[in-house]
Amino acid sequence: MDRTPVDSGFSRREALKIGGGALALAVTGPQLAASPAGAQTPKRGGTLRLTVLADPLHFDPHQTLSFLTMVPLSLVYSRLVKVKAGPSVKPMTYPIEPDLAESWTQANDTTYVFKLKKGVRWHNKPPVNGRELTADDIKFTYERFLTITGNANKPVLEYVDRIEALDKYTVKFTLKEPNAWFIDLLASTSTWIVAKECVEKFGDLKKVESVVGTGPWMLERWEPNVKIVYVRHPNYFVPGLPYADGVEMFIDKDPSSRLAKWLSGQTDFGPEYQHAVRWLDAPVARQRKPGLQTAEYTWFTSGATGFKLANPPFNDLRVRRALSRASNIAEVFESLAFSQGHWTPNPAVPAAFADWSIPIDQLGPEGRKLYEYSTADAKRLLAEAGHPNGFKVTVEAPSVVYGPDFDDFVAITIKNWKAAGIDADLKLKEYGAFISSTIFGKFDSMFLGLRGAWADPEAYFYRWYMPGQPLNVWGVNDPKLTDMIKLQRRTFDLAKRKQVIFDIQRYLADQALFGVDGSIKILSAWDAHIKNYGPNNGFDYGGRLMAAWIDR
Amino acid sequence: MRAYVLRRLLVAVPSLLIASLIVFTLPRLIPGDVVQLMLEEKAYGKDLEELRAKLGLNRPIHVQYFEWLGAIARGHLGESLWTRQPVLNELARRLPVTATLGFMATVVAIAIGVPIGVLAAIRQDGVLDFFARSAAILGLSVPSFVLAILVTLLPAIWWGWTPPRFVEFAKSPAGHLGQFVLPAIILGVASAAGIMRLTRGMLLEVLRQDYVRTAWSKGLREGVVVLKHALKNALIPVVTVLGLQVAAIAGGAVIIEWIFGIPGMGQFLVDAIVQRDYPVIQGVNLVIVTIIVLTNLSVDLVYAVLDPRIRY
Amino acid sequence: MANSVQTLPVPRALPRPWRVPTLVRLVLTFARRKPLGAIGGALVLALLVMAVFAGQIAPHAYDQSIPGARMKPPSSQFWMGTDNLSRDVWSRVVYGARISVTVGFATVALATLMATAIGVSSAYLGGAYDIVVQRVVDAWMSFPALVVVLSLIAALGPGLPNLILALSILGAASASRVIRGATLSVIANPYVEGARAIGAGHLRIVLLHVLPNVTGTILILATIGLGTVILAESALSFLGFGIPPPYPSWGAMLSGSGRSFMYYAPWMALFPCAAISLAVFGFNMLGDALRDVLDPRLRGRAH
Repeated sequence: MDRTPVDSGFSRREALKIGGGALALAVTGPQLAASPAGAQTPKRGGTLRLTVLADPLHFDPHQTLSFLTMVPLSLVYSRLVKVKAGPSVKPMTYPIEPDLAESWTQANDTTYVFKLKKGVRWHNKPPVNGRELTADDIKFTYERFLTITGNANKPVLEYVDRIEALDKYTVKFTLKEPNAWFIDLLASTSTWIVAKECVEKFGDLKKVESVVGTGPWMLERWEPNVKIVYVRHPNYFVPGLPYADGVEMFIDKDPSSRLAKWLSGQTDFGPEYQHAVRWLDAPVARQRKPGLQTAEYTWFTSGATGFKLANPPFNDLRVRRALSRASNIAEVFESLAFSQGHWTPNPAVPAAFADWSIPIDQLGPEGRKLYEYSTADAKRLLAEAGHPNGFKVTVEAPSVVYGPDFDDFVAITIKNWKAAGIDADLKLKEYGAFISSTIFGKFDSMFLGLRGAWADPEAYFYRWYMPGQPLNVWGVNDPKLTDMIKLQRRTFDLAKRKQVIFDIQRYLADQALFGVDGSIKILSAWDAHIKNYGPNNGFDYGGRLMAAWIDR
Repeated sequence: MRAYVLRRLLVAVPSLLIASLIVFTLPRLIPGDVVQLMLEEKAYGKDLEELRAKLGLNRPIHVQYFEWLGAIARGHLGESLWTRQPVLNELARRLPVTATLGFMATVVAIAIGVPIGVLAAIRQDGVLDFFARSAAILGLSVPSFVLAILVTLLPAIWWGWTPPRFVEFAKSPAGHLGQFVLPAIILGVASAAGIMRLTRGMLLEVLRQDYVRTAWSKGLREGVVVLKHALKNALIPVVTVLGLQVAAIAGGAVIIEWIFGIPGMGQFLVDAIVQRDYPVIQGVNLVIVTIIVLTNLSVDLVYAVLDPRIRY
Repeated sequence: MANSVQTLPVPRALPRPWRVPTLVRLVLTFARRKPLGAIGGALVLALLVMAVFAGQIAPHAYDQSIPGARMKPPSSQFWMGTDNLSRDVWSRVVYGARISVTVGFATVALATLMATAIGVSSAYLGGAYDIVVQRVVDAWMSFPALVVVLSLIAALGPGLPNLILALSILGAASASRVIRGATLSVIANPYVEGARAIGAGHLRIVLLHVLPNVTGTILILATIGLGTVILAESALSFLGFGIPPPYPSWGAMLSGSGRSFMYYAPWMALFPCAAISLAVFGFNMLGDALRDVLDPRLRGRAH
């Protein structure tokens, strides 16, 4: 039940360095092995034990957005390029490195050619039986990705025109239009390379038996409600990796139980998503686990306030400003068990994208003010907009599935809105009903939900504000904004693109086209005996775990 | 006797049919169908219709219902719309788990409920009655998830110990049975109050009847009267509660399964409802309902054997 | 839900229609003979008082956050402490009583109404009607309670009225069985035959003879049902199907942030939990005592 509406698509800044016009620049070699961070020699063997929040919905990466499916698959599959992981990578940055690709070149704005590594073996499981990966597999995967019914991740690659296998190890991508984010999007956790034999044999990839990849571990078995068991892939294409012989991914839906299992030494990593431990529990965990290793960084999920722009009252800029001024996000994050005062305010691109999110103090004067909580100012703005006594509005939200922290967020938000005269009447919907109606834009006036976990910064404005996008629930159709969004896609130069994206964020704040929110600075935690691990945002647990080793 | 069994069986058939109809329609009335959930945030226009067609959900509902009935007649319970795991396989894995938990919880409930009920009856309105009943009702009145969280979380914080994770019987028989002890006690304590109340009520009634009065007047010792004459008869209706107990545990143990990480029927069912996984909801419910109907039937038959006054 | 106790011995006829002697004397006798029942009654009374006068008793509004009072332990100012949203736990427990009473009484009233209509009509009319209705009741009763409630709430949407509706539909089936049994034994009595013989109408017979004689049974069922409903609501809250905010239901307080903070701010969970337990205890004790008094087979000393 703990499900977050999530998406994939990672933005990786370093890879963009290969952009900058039509220059062809090759990135080569595996850089993951033997990170210099630990002075000790890595040890082979042992089992990594971690927790996930619920069972996978199914195992077909082209049929869902959910992290519940993507996270378990991340140990099994590979993609052309991936987000670099390990202690040397700063959380909240997403540098790209080759995965199955040996190198790649960009011939022009719309043509990319990838050279594949040679001798990459599929898992030795039927029906693929350990054959070598070829360019045809890439072509098959992405054609399925783009044509299959019900792939909610289609926007990740929908601008791709065709994929050709030039020879056994060479793949050419031709895009319909330039997209500066292409390489980053290829590193999304939905772009795993899948085997044709499995699709042919099973019809789709939903069954657990159809999970055959080229990644560091093989999925041995899934016991629903209990665990997923992985064993080392002996022919993994990065020599020496992974270090751990196996992984046990325990499925534990109850937060207290997850915490208890970790505190009592039954798992090696923090109990929540991305191995976080709630700040509330951090002192107890540190006390129970001497030498506990932690990292604090901003989460890419946040609360979300949606409203319809077409109708009163939110067609009035002053009302939208009042809404944000009436919200006290500091109070929210001080109250939650998860954050306990550890948080960062988000502009339109969440702060979790350190390279792309505009600092609040660089917003325009009106945009900056959105983040200054003031009931009096909110009331004044409402009065100016012709609502001296405030107004009544219905707010839709999913019922308790997101957990007590979300409920507290809703309670505080509504209470503060009421204080300013925005008399919000909460209308709760069962999770399924919420997802299938409100998220699809079928709501009267407002909703409160969760934003994102989209892994590319562009998604946060492209999907919400481009006319015609299914998630543009506001009904935004602003030519100036649309032009800027289109422009950044065509801007390969990193510094220039960053400026455009900052401009977009300034404009969105200035127009108050979203309700202000913040994100938790989560605390990822892993036990003293786990070495060479570095946490980050995203579903790629496998990529981050493969170089970790157990020192016992 | 045979005619009675036959008649009871015949009566069960329409109940099962009605249940199957409810089982089939109820989940389909919930707003937000399985296809919308599968596509989550993205409604790519025709995708919804195509996926519905692919899953066979676009046909008239009565056609789907009769096809489902036909499949069951051939022994197919279908497969999950999400994971495509056959429902039957999952049931085969989960039914014994829930059955073990339910059996142990019922044993606990009887072990607590019957003695307290007897004590409370023979000392009606005495101090012992008050204490015994208060204890039993208190056990009922604390929400069981609170107890479950306390016994998992507090030992972990204080001593770094918490109940171990689920193990299969084949891996470790002792560990497998051991892991049900705490959950069974928590569940059993909650159900004990009902059994206590019933035992007490029945015993109070029996103790007023002529044959017991006769036993008293013959000067038999209290223990003999209560145990030999009264309790035997008082317990007959208690047997009937066990049928209801099965229903309560099959669906009601979900919170305990959830907190203790036990892969039983309750979790399976709640997940399926949240995900609108129609074949799973239908399959699991049908199996549970059948089991309950059969349990009630056998309870009635046992009852008939125990109590010769029952009309066949 | 696992806690639901649905079976009661079926009291047969009450010998005379219900009479009300001097109320005070009745209460005193009851308290002397059934002290536990009296304690239960007192708890129920306290609950009712809290529910009715919540606005007067609670020092704060249930959603009012008090500046600078986040997660304060019990003290003379906040004698049940404050929660993570700086709200006074005592005030929330008091308002929670109103929610529990509303849900409890509304559910039980609705369930009893349905159960009485089904049970009495089924027993009184008999024949094909009885058979059909009883098969439906059979089917309904053999459903795991949780499935029924979760499906209904998912279908109707979360919310106070829908929760009441779902829980009452659930409770009605088993209660109707008991009431049907009680009715059957009432209509077997000679005076009902007599009423029929002198040409009394069906409605008259049901209203004047059947209903007064099954009132005791209904009363007992309802009292114990109230406790069951309060427990069921807390279990549903745990699963995310309970009474939605902003209502401060005890179940939501306990299974929401009360549970998150259970170790760090135990008062946030302890007091709602105690409130649930006392209410359930009270209803059960009162129900048991009522049965001891009202059920003729349990009257008098055993020996």
